[in-house]
Amino acid sequence: MAKRQYPERVIPRHSLKTRITHDIVAVTCLWLMVSGAFVFVPALAAAFPAATQFFRMSHRVMGTIFIVAPILSAITSPRGFKEFLGKYFVKWTPQDWEFLKKFVPYMLGAKRVHMPDQDEVKSGQRFADGLLILSSILIAVSGVVLWLGTSVFHASAGVLLAMRTCHDVAFILLIVFGLAHIYLGAGIFQPYRGTSRLMWGDGKVTEADALYHWGFWARKQIEKGNYEEVKK
Amino acid sequence: MSELAIYFDSSLCTACRGCQASCKVWNELPSPIDFDAGKDTFAGTYQNPPDLNKDTRLIITFKERERENAYGIDWGFGRRACMHCTDAACVEVCPSGCLHHDTDGTGFVVYDVDKCIGCQYCRSACPFDVPRHRGVGVQGAGIKIDKCTACIDRVRHDRKPACVGACQPGALDFGDRDEMIAKAHERVDALKAKGFEDARVYGETEMGGLHVINVLKYDVSMYEPLPDKPAKSPLVDVLSKVAKPLGAVAAVGVVGGLALTYALAHGYHRDKLYYDEKNHDVIDTDTGEVVKHIDKEAGER
Repeated sequence: MAKRQYPERVIPRHSLKTRITHDIVAVTCLWLMVSGAFVFVPALAAAFPAATQFFRMSHRVMGTIFIVAPILSAITSPRGFKEFLGKYFVKWTPQDWEFLKKFVPYMLGAKRVHMPDQDEVKSGQRFADGLLILSSILIAVSGVVLWLGTSVFHASAGVLLAMRTCHDVAFILLIVFGLAHIYLGAGIFQPYRGTSRLMWGDGKVTEADALYHWGFWARKQIEKGNYEEVKK
Repeated sequence: MSELAIYFDSSLCTACRGCQASCKVWNELPSPIDFDAGKDTFAGTYQNPPDLNKDTRLIITFKERERENAYGIDWGFGRRACMHCTDAACVEVCPSGCLHHDTDGTGFVVYDVDKCIGCQYCRSACPFDVPRHRGVGVQGAGIKIDKCTACIDRVRHDRKPACVGACQPGALDFGDRDEMIAKAHERVDALKAKGFEDARVYGETEMGGLHVINVLKYDVSMYEPLPDKPAKSPLVDVLSKVAKPLGAVAAVGVVGGLALTYALAHGYHRDKLYYDEKNHDVIDTDTGEVVKHIDKEAGER
């Protein structure tokens, strides 16, 4: 019997504006982490003081873009921003809790551990992305106070120290969740291969990937006819 | 070289501000009128400029109050500049090694301006709010520290700091730190004998011992913004002794953990799936096998 041929299908997942916003934030965030490391790590600052001055200046330029880009995106697409929030602030299903419980065993044994179906944003994504966003807000606010408080106005020593603490704590959180985000989002982890296309490509996900990662969402999209067949 | 100290006796200071001028002359610091306390109108104080700034490493502070039981007013003249702490928080937080204790063992806190990266962390850590910076602006480039160095370039050539050399009434002195402390105690005893009960030595033990030994004639409130009990903020230790190691552990831990998951997932193969939306079947496209059926009637999705 001839083997049945299944059509290759992709599901649109992220709009162009979402991808551009994400990519701007990602690139500036990486630059900010590297340039910030030149102040955070004493050995780097001591070894390259002139470069550190440059990085400090670039830190402000990139920091501005890092803050302005998502705000501008939200202002120009209020509906999209509302939808974005709606995906994150949802009631957790039993599958969401199961996903979170199984996450570490899965990461250590993806060949054996099978994850439950998920909606458009996995519970783990909601947790990790939520912390990324909170850290970003914390680092942005503290960064603005540190910047303007030492240039435009004279912030007190106590305020500056408190803001530095916030900045450093947020930086550490961004290291942890940012690295994990890159590892999974860029598809470096073998079961996540192909996910880089979502934010760095055309924003579409193959049916197979969608069914694997976001089963509930993928089936709903296909049932609604919200997919494209790939012409061979 | 033994530990040295600048001695300041507020009871002998006449606030002539020769020390301020001398500091500017020796260190080639400009005096733009922008920093004047009252360019157009009297600002209510003779203190000028109002505070330390990028071109002013030393000021004499003015505070006055009416005497409680006698005619006239009390004048408190304070010397506001770097105190050259033994436990210098600025040195601790400086990420580039720009700020450091003089390697000759004088105890003075000096800096290598070429190493300054302009982060201004020193200013936020200093309990005396002393360090100031040149080139401060929103663009952030070219910011460099400027503060009192105790004229270390003069000291290394057996000369007194410029401010000390200019002091006419002998309020300032310079020498071996222990000798300056002994002199200060002697002076405080004399002041107390004259009825100045709040007189005290300031700098002997504060911040692990300052290298500016002050004789305060009145209580410390007359020398604002001098803190009564200066202390390093606990956040300084949190930032330098906790946050940095924690950041390193976090980075290494995450990279190590992810590397482990990568190694464990080596050879991972995922079945290619297809969803038959009419029959609600999830199918393995290689084998044609239905791996999952979604029972819509039972409420599955």
